[in-house]
Amino acid sequence: MPSYTAPLRDMQFVYNELFDPTEITALPGCEDATADLVDPVLEEAARLAQNELFPLNHSGDTSGCQYEDGKVTTPPGFADAYHQYAEGGWIGLPCDPKYGGQGMPGALNVLLEEMACSANVAFATYVGLTRGAYRAINTFASDELKDCYLPKMVSGIWSGTMCLTESQCGTDLGLIRTKAVANENGSHAISGTKIFITAGEHDLAENIIHLVLARLPDAPEGIKGISLFLVPKFLPNDDGEAGERNPIRCTRIESKMGIKASATCEMNLESATGWLIGEPHKGMRAMFTMMNDARLGVGIQGLGLGESAYQAAVEYARDRQQGRALSGARYPEQAADPLLVHPDIRRMLLTMRVFTEGTRALAVWVGRQIDIRDRSEDAEQRKQADDLVQLLTPLVKSYLSEVGHDTAQMAVQVYGGHGYIHDNGVEQYARDARIAMIYEGANGIQALDLVGRKLTAHMGRYLRRFFHPVQAWISSNTANAELQPFVLPLAKAFGRLQLATGQIAEAGLKDPNEAGAASSEYLKLFALVTLAFLWAKMAKVALEKQDNDDTGFYQAKIATAHFFMERILPQSGALFASIMSGGATMMTFPDDAF
Amino acid sequence: MSSIEKVAVIGSGVMGSGIAAQAANAGIDVILLDILPKEGSDRDAIAKGAIQRMLKTNPAPLMHQRNAKRIRPGNVEDHLEWLAECDLVIEVVIENLEIKQALYRKIDQHRKASAIVTSNTSTIPLAHLVDGMGEDFRQHFAVTHFFNPPRYMRLLELVAGPDTHAEVISTLRDFGDRMLGKSVVDCKDTPGFIANRIGILWMGVAVRFAFEDGLTVEEADSIIGKPMGIPKTGIFGLLDLVGIDLQPHVESSMLATLPDEDMYRDIHRPSAFIEKMIAEGSTGRKGKGGFYRLNRAGGKKVKEALDLKTGKYHPANKSSLASVEAARAGLRALVEHPDRGGQYAWRVLSHTLSYAAALVPQIADHIHAVDEAMKNGYAWKWGPFELIDKLGPQWFAKKLAEQGMAVPPLLQQVGEGSFYQVENGKLQYFGTDGAYHNVDRADGVLLLADIKRAGERIDGNRSASLWDIGDKVLCLEFHSKMNAIDEGIMAAASKALKIIPAQGYRALVIHNEGTNFSVGANVGVGLFAANIAAWPKITESVKQGQDVYKALKFAPFPVVGAPSGMALGGGCEVLLHCDALEAHAETYMGLVEVGVGLVPAWGGCKEMLLRWSENPRHPKGPMPAVSKVFETVATATVGKSAEESRALLYLRPSDNIVMNRDRLLASAKERALAMAKDYAPPEPRELTLPGPSGEAAMTLVLNDFHRAGKATDHDVTVGKKLAHVLAGGKVDPTETLSEDKLFTLERNAIVSLLRTPQTLDRIEHMLETGKPLRN
Repeated sequence: MPSYTAPLRDMQFVYNELFDPTEITALPGCEDATADLVDPVLEEAARLAQNELFPLNHSGDTSGCQYEDGKVTTPPGFADAYHQYAEGGWIGLPCDPKYGGQGMPGALNVLLEEMACSANVAFATYVGLTRGAYRAINTFASDELKDCYLPKMVSGIWSGTMCLTESQCGTDLGLIRTKAVANENGSHAISGTKIFITAGEHDLAENIIHLVLARLPDAPEGIKGISLFLVPKFLPNDDGEAGERNPIRCTRIESKMGIKASATCEMNLESATGWLIGEPHKGMRAMFTMMNDARLGVGIQGLGLGESAYQAAVEYARDRQQGRALSGARYPEQAADPLLVHPDIRRMLLTMRVFTEGTRALAVWVGRQIDIRDRSEDAEQRKQADDLVQLLTPLVKSYLSEVGHDTAQMAVQVYGGHGYIHDNGVEQYARDARIAMIYEGANGIQALDLVGRKLTAHMGRYLRRFFHPVQAWISSNTANAELQPFVLPLAKAFGRLQLATGQIAEAGLKDPNEAGAASSEYLKLFALVTLAFLWAKMAKVALEKQDNDDTGFYQAKIATAHFFMERILPQSGALFASIMSGGATMMTFPDDAF
Repeated sequence: MSSIEKVAVIGSGVMGSGIAAQAANAGIDVILLDILPKEGSDRDAIAKGAIQRMLKTNPAPLMHQRNAKRIRPGNVEDHLEWLAECDLVIEVVIENLEIKQALYRKIDQHRKASAIVTSNTSTIPLAHLVDGMGEDFRQHFAVTHFFNPPRYMRLLELVAGPDTHAEVISTLRDFGDRMLGKSVVDCKDTPGFIANRIGILWMGVAVRFAFEDGLTVEEADSIIGKPMGIPKTGIFGLLDLVGIDLQPHVESSMLATLPDEDMYRDIHRPSAFIEKMIAEGSTGRKGKGGFYRLNRAGGKKVKEALDLKTGKYHPANKSSLASVEAARAGLRALVEHPDRGGQYAWRVLSHTLSYAAALVPQIADHIHAVDEAMKNGYAWKWGPFELIDKLGPQWFAKKLAEQGMAVPPLLQQVGEGSFYQVENGKLQYFGTDGAYHNVDRADGVLLLADIKRAGERIDGNRSASLWDIGDKVLCLEFHSKMNAIDEGIMAAASKALKIIPAQGYRALVIHNEGTNFSVGANVGVGLFAANIAAWPKITESVKQGQDVYKALKFAPFPVVGAPSGMALGGGCEVLLHCDALEAHAETYMGLVEVGVGLVPAWGGCKEMLLRWSENPRHPKGPMPAVSKVFETVATATVGKSAEESRALLYLRPSDNIVMNRDRLLASAKERALAMAKDYAPPEPRELTLPGPSGEAAMTLVLNDFHRAGKATDHDVTVGKKLAHVLAGGKVDPTETLSEDKLFTLERNAIVSLLRTPQTLDRIEHMLETGKPLRN
């Protein structure tokens, strides 16, 4: 069985060394989040993940959730772990202290989420959805609703969900049929059936707060006629405690490929009582707030699984003896050399590593921008941070889930036939990682969001927040001889990204299919350049500190950066060629010939 | 046909003074008379006051302030003998038959024998006006009905009486067309003539059905507006603009003269709601507000709309009718949409269009006159018969019949056909004789629209086209969005530069029939490139534009620009590189780049420096010209007419101004052909510029403005870049600079400004709001 040790050293490097932590502590409410606080928090979270969550991962996958008569039972140990997690204040860690949260930086929470996902991604879904619901309620709901629901959600006594999907509509939410009719007391009666509701029913929390998309009687057609409602499993009494059962019931749970310990529910609403969040027909706006956070969270699932998979693969490659090194036996005293000596094994391990460490830096970078967006007192700074978050969210969701999945698959490959065996653990990573590429907006949708919305918004203003700093960084470091191996490939790939961006904007203006046809490759190219930028920056920090390197951490960082630049980044050339060739080969292919 | 060299306008109210101003704009001496004032010693006070108001009114009736000097004020008691000098006397007094007739008798005593007399009446039949007047007077009398404001509204309705001499009518038509720049439409002597006859019914149904169908003010205006090709003021916005209190007068005078069986009599309903508004002084923009108002409470300007049910104001909402969305697919999709907007659109159009169809030949000889009148008098994009063609005449007739509405004979007659067709490349209209007739243009009118119908384009792309306009002259037409200058336009211009010598063309005319010649460079493309830090590409595209404009200037054939409307930024610069301009009088030129944080970089600075330094009426030495260009460009000054543009040297003394836009292309072509004989391209010139000391002087001015709070930080940054270019950079004042060197200075300045976030914010703001950002 694989093991998991939280990569605290790398996390500290990203949090404190790669980025300037004082930019975060300068934000209102983050003043205390200095290394004195951050390091122990990370250590404690690591302990919880390693000791409490990780041991339930494999068993949770094996037993799965049980459904009986409207009730869902989570795998053995989940309820205890959940209570520990909640009582430790981990659910409310980034939430507003007004509602009992810790008010910690979102950037830090990125790392805590990563650990939870590495240790037990199914468990992490229960917590993640509560935070998404928290954010939507906190941003759009009335004070009355906030005061009633948020303290209990922040403490984890109550949990949250988002109920969007119906059998006839997944991506296209304009087709929603669930209806909401106003009651006399200001609440609404909501009826309909939702499917694929993660954590829709379970035995972890005392109450479950569903955020439900539904249509009011006078709603305009399509996406502009969707409203958002808060529908609790139990209606709160006057004292604020869970009271009368609300007719929103789980009617079945799905049998799935992965994350089997996460309950995926069909929810039936029969005139369930709910309250409008935000304005009528403007539900998508509130939902997008929640979804954007959720998309970041889904990306982190990929990151977390990638880290566990990497650790498992390295461990196995060290232990497992098989064959001899091509250049002659490295360990003649043993029956065979360990897998680690083989070039292709090393290729896989380093690929897994550059993706994991690179995407960790990306996730923290975006987390920091969210902190700035939410907390800065400078409106211009907030706007710039928001622009960057808007731009990078589809990248984080899509790319992190994809490389997380690829990494998990590579772990299976390193294990060989043993990787395919359930009891050896890594095939679970591969199965668990698959869903992240699909839910919260399939990766193809993310790519469309990038080229269709994010690229064109304000004539490319979001892009400026990325292209200008990268260009400036390249300019100011080109003269640095030591950095040449990193700056030059970055500059080359960046030039390709500029050309591809111009091409897509121009071609897409004339024919949206052209933008659509290029979108997935473009997202990958963009993500590769983003990682190249972060790897170049990481190399620079490591180079500056390599003289004081007892553990070899910085040397390893520099070597990994070289691997990225030389073995991974060249993919940008292929992606570029593919993008520039246009979409005609796909779009002119006769429908009947498929 | 006699020429009109001096005009008298009697009555100096809004219409009279507007007509007088437009005549003065045409370079004609005008006598403006009014009655004696009730008090005061100056017996000419009323006409003098009217001239004073002309100088202040916005939009300006005068194309240049100095045109006021052509207008001589007087009064009808002391100065009637002045009429003896006039070739035309236009009566624009109160709509009262007795007063008008009394005036005519006086005029008749003083006018010279050949002088023409016209009335601007909108409601009194010509027959009544001349009733009892002598035969010679009747022979020299006509109605010339202008629309408000006379400078800007293109329609002039011309009505002849049974005795009016044909030559009088041809003289008036020619005068209105060539001198005043109007689109002259011959009308019959019927109530409201053409435009108001249809317009008043249209307004009546649009208001009445909005109330009846329960539409909000915003919803009604969203239907009666863009979907119908009507200005976005729609119906309620239009009433606010013209004055709600005017309507009852107009309506009652129509009712007094309309035939008994006229549809308007069935449609008209007095509205207690509107009567109450008028009684309370809510008469529109001039009053306490109307169907809309701007609420300035709390220091903010909030546009509010009136609730037609409660009579209370609320912040104006954007209409969310699905029918407005559906109208993108065409007019029929709008009227067939089941929502209340679609139903309302049908009710308004079915009445208005069937009314118009029933009135031909009663009010005009042919349908084309009706369409021209509505397009030029009410600023509709399509006339009633063009709208019926959009719906499909047969479909329209069938639907009218289904709903129990009368199907006008003309509509029955056209049957499965359409009111317009193109035959052998010629536009034809359906005549009352059941045959199609060519839409003939007057001599000296050449329309690109006709050329495009008749022939294939020579070359072109999405943004611009090249057309053969005859006699071996090529026309470069812009048709990008808002005619913004982009890569496509540059490519088409480059193509013209190759095709003209290669295929034996003799000259190039740059012209289009858009509302505006060009609003400037497509800065959106530049903004996007700047956002992705594509600096080499930006430099390259600036250079490319410079190369094309330079090539136009030094081409081995004449290039004549023929602009109308706005010609700003890059659109102004292309004209500055032409050999000659034939500019419509309503041409508004300016280098407005600083508004978006840029400097002119397609040779605008260079050409303006050349013009001011070579201006014989300007002091010598390098600095005066530089200061003048700096003042003009740093403040983004735009000429509000061709005449004002000329004063700013955007037009040279050798450039011509053409009053009628329909004559622009023909004038430009004629000019180009004249120049093509023995044409020699201009020689490149050298500029003497002041260098760093001049730049320092301009910087001082900027700093003063900054201190006084009149210039923002970024204004100063942009201004300094401009000063650097105009001073010739680091040039030694004893040396000269080539035109190419100026291009380099311009290019460096604009590229460095595109690297500043403030400039990018300005461009984004302009593109998204249409308004400049002062950051």
